[in-house]
Amino acid sequence: MTQSTQAGLLEPAPGSDGTPRPTARTVGGGRRVLRALAPLPWITPATALILFVVIWPVVSMFLTSRQHFDSMGFDQGSAGWGNFTKLFDEPDLPGVLVRTVIWVVAVVGLTILISLGVAQMFNKQFPGRKVARWALIAPWAASVVMTSIVFKWMLNPSNGTILVLMHDLGFMKNYNSVNWLSQQTPAFIWEIVVAIFVSVPFTTYALLAGLQGVPEDVYEACRLDGAGSVRTYWSITLPLLRPALLVAALINIMNVFNSFPIIYEMTGGGPGNQTSTTTLFMYNTQQTSIGEAAAMSVVNFGFIIVVVLFFLRASRWNTAED
Amino acid sequence: MTTVTARPTPAAASARKAPAPRRLPRPRTVALAGGAYLIGLIFLLPYLEMVITALRPGNELHDRDLFPSHPTLASFTDIWSTGLGTNLGTSLEIAFGSTALVLLVAIPAAYYTARRNFRGKGLFLLLVLITQMFQPTAMIVGIYQQFLQFNLIDSVWSLILVNAGFNMAFAVWILNAYFSAIPKEIEEAAIVDGCSRVGAMFRVILPLAAPGIVTALIFTFIAAWNEFIVALTLTTQSGPRTLTVKISNFVGEYATDWQHLFAASVIATIPVIILFALIEGKVASGLTAGSVK
Amino acid sequence: MKRRVLALTAIGVAGVMSLTACGSSSSSSSGSSGGNVTIKLLAADYGTAGTSNSTQAYWQGLAATFHKTHPNITVQVQTIAWTNWAQVATMIQDKQYPDILEGDAPQQFAADGLLYKLTDIMSASTVSNLIPVFAKQEDGTDGVAYGAPFTTSARGLFYNKKLFAAAKIANPPQTWADIQNDAAKIKALGGGDIGYGLPLGPEEAQGESYLWMLGNGGGYVDSTGKYAINQAANVQTFQFLNTLVKSGATEPGPASTNRQQMWDAFAAGQVGMVGGSGALIPDIVKNGKLTTSDYGVVPMPGKNAPLTQTLGVHDDVVGFKQGGHADQIKQFLDFVYSDQNQIAFDQEYDLLPATTSASAALSAKDPVAAGFLKNVPNSVVYPSNTNWNTVLAKLKQTLGTAASDNASSVLNSLQTFATSNQ
Repeated sequence: MTQSTQAGLLEPAPGSDGTPRPTARTVGGGRRVLRALAPLPWITPATALILFVVIWPVVSMFLTSRQHFDSMGFDQGSAGWGNFTKLFDEPDLPGVLVRTVIWVVAVVGLTILISLGVAQMFNKQFPGRKVARWALIAPWAASVVMTSIVFKWMLNPSNGTILVLMHDLGFMKNYNSVNWLSQQTPAFIWEIVVAIFVSVPFTTYALLAGLQGVPEDVYEACRLDGAGSVRTYWSITLPLLRPALLVAALINIMNVFNSFPIIYEMTGGGPGNQTSTTTLFMYNTQQTSIGEAAAMSVVNFGFIIVVVLFFLRASRWNTAED
Repeated sequence: MTTVTARPTPAAASARKAPAPRRLPRPRTVALAGGAYLIGLIFLLPYLEMVITALRPGNELHDRDLFPSHPTLASFTDIWSTGLGTNLGTSLEIAFGSTALVLLVAIPAAYYTARRNFRGKGLFLLLVLITQMFQPTAMIVGIYQQFLQFNLIDSVWSLILVNAGFNMAFAVWILNAYFSAIPKEIEEAAIVDGCSRVGAMFRVILPLAAPGIVTALIFTFIAAWNEFIVALTLTTQSGPRTLTVKISNFVGEYATDWQHLFAASVIATIPVIILFALIEGKVASGLTAGSVK
Repeated sequence: MKRRVLALTAIGVAGVMSLTACGSSSSSSSGSSGGNVTIKLLAADYGTAGTSNSTQAYWQGLAATFHKTHPNITVQVQTIAWTNWAQVATMIQDKQYPDILEGDAPQQFAADGLLYKLTDIMSASTVSNLIPVFAKQEDGTDGVAYGAPFTTSARGLFYNKKLFAAAKIANPPQTWADIQNDAAKIKALGGGDIGYGLPLGPEEAQGESYLWMLGNGGGYVDSTGKYAINQAANVQTFQFLNTLVKSGATEPGPASTNRQQMWDAFAAGQVGMVGGSGALIPDIVKNGKLTTSDYGVVPMPGKNAPLTQTLGVHDDVVGFKQGGHADQIKQFLDFVYSDQNQIAFDQEYDLLPATTSASAALSAKDPVAAGFLKNVPNSVVYPSNTNWNTVLAKLKQTLGTAASDNASSVLNSLQTFATSNQ
């Protein structure tokens, strides 16, 4: 009975009978035309909004990626595939691509692992559960820009709270002796930490929703069978959570892949492009070449499309297995 | 909240040999609660630091201590006098406008796709799905060019449109799941009773789907409220500025005005947290419908 | 001053085109006798935090005053934050040109054929009043000026006298070796303070780096004006900076540290020495940790002796010809470049004027500005090559990483970028 929503969206909806009822009592061709037109009042506004706000800029980015603009934005004519070859010749690009993969895998993977634990915990009864859940909402409700700025402030080598704590506890002798955000590896790790920090609340709530949807009698039956708690979790809870997990994973992958403010605010992708992912790299490239940045966007779109297709396939496959 | 009457949970249940005494919290519950509070605290810490910094007087800003010795509310009163009220108004206008627009276009689309099959439905849903994957950051230059052509720079309308456009997919998705889960017979009964299809939607289906609508509403509202890049790009210093953009202005060319930045952030965040807390239960159930059927 | 991003601006808008007819009729020297004309001004926002829109207020004030004496000309003002300057390039990309742009250098626009010559949009008396060293920077490749400097600033070395006294340093530094020794002594105080603040982060890597390059006789271009970013003197300079950083005399991670952070820390009394301009002073006052007698300003030290020339930086005004409003632009710019209006702007933002007469007037009434202004006529400036803006954007991102073990490879790749993106 479980089925991912995304897959559901593309299947005939469970409530519909699959055969549209006649919507008008005209004859012949007129009737067919009317029937074809019937959905329009319902879906035209949504389609128009998507076409105008989302598809239009996509098309314009494609066009931009084939033009040559000088640094002032003046159109110097067609560039053919020049922007793309320039992009692929960028010495920073391979590092950026690898980092993007690490970024998405590490942030999404760790977010889901942590959220599974937190959700399990918050699904149990204990005094003050509501208050604890509220606290978890903060990073979700606050803007990511602000959260990133606060973390940067707390990591300020001269007087950041985290360094004050380390100093007072004796882990660090002198202020201004370490600046994590200026070194590639520590900076990137801190950015991953912040990304996880802002992703866990939503993911936890999605999984909590999944956990609450698991009927109590399933556990009851399991207990009667004498299964241990670990086994129950593996063989009952996790499989039942799969749809929620799938959805949470997809939303996280897209959010994390497209994420801009965290790295932008904390390091700007620097030093150089050493902590850039593709979105940051696109932004930084835009400062020197609009066309090349557009080419980077196009490559990003390609990646997104691949993920979507992959996901569709995966969810169909799951449905079939059920 | 006073006595613990834990309903059996998988872990607790399997560990239990005999019914436990109900009076005192068991060590397990204490450990659980302690752990949960700790997690809650960790997720609050950066925001506490935000408040503490906002309370620092200017000459203690760079002091190397955890708390200011002379906390002051001056930053809060200062920023209010720089016209933060106007920015608050702009943010509200955009958040409400986008939310209204999303509901207006998403409800009919979600309802129709949940109930009827028609040629092009697959294509439409694929379009929605792809939209869900895109975020404005990736195409900000294209968006800016587009609104420049329509002379909609420095207009709240452009921000409402963009926020609505990029958040609609999620709403369609959540609502589609809700509508699909409502048995068709209910609305057929209403139609037999003389309601039109539209009437049935308003009188029967929408009230039943209320939790889903609330979820979609809150998500859109918060996304629009916190949106930064588009608001930054589609307005100049001469136009309407949202709270998030105003806050970024405290990061100046020569100096960052940390106290004012964080004071404004606190003001911008509190309403959202309250909003969220009020509907916390509904968020969970809204997502349930979205993920499990 | 800074130029965050690429490029330039433009305001323009469809409406301008429809007014072209009026514009061309009034471009005869009959002044404002024609119909009503609206000209669009697009300007950078120099506003300081908390008073975020003050540059908008400055220009609108000017526009209103101007409109009183020129009722046929309305100036429409739009300001853009430096942090968001890429918007300007997009406007150009969309062919939405302003009439006047305050912000970027004219060379690329001039090469694209978008600009009026300066003499078309500014009367001869105003042009001759521009400070020559900056005015020379406005020439296109054809040797004709296409813009005017609008506001300028000059650099010096700020040092914290309290920290110097505590570290028993008698005199402010004169040479690189002095900086190294003094910074080491300040660090040895053990208070966790920074000896020398070296902001090589993307905000303004080009400025700090340039000051050091000049100290070793280097620079961005050679004597013929060709890019020479990887010249031996520069490599040596960055190797020295690398040793400075490694010795712990600077803040950790200079390639990620922006000027603003170092200025903040200097104002908080936590930095011994930092390169600064007049704009640092209000920050010091606001912070309240240092009094006027607690800090001093001296010329930037060089390898063997202090720099004899200061680094002078300026922003520009250019006029776009698509609107056809040369005459109106000229009347407005002559008004903007009056001493009174120049000084009002520069006092608001602690910058310096771009005209000789305003400089003289400001020197007479503001001793701090006078200190900086003294060196301005003799200042070194950034290159004005056509693609400088593109190169600049790249420099900001990567130049800071040259203060490391691979100085020469970073500089080589920048040189390649500069010469291949002409």
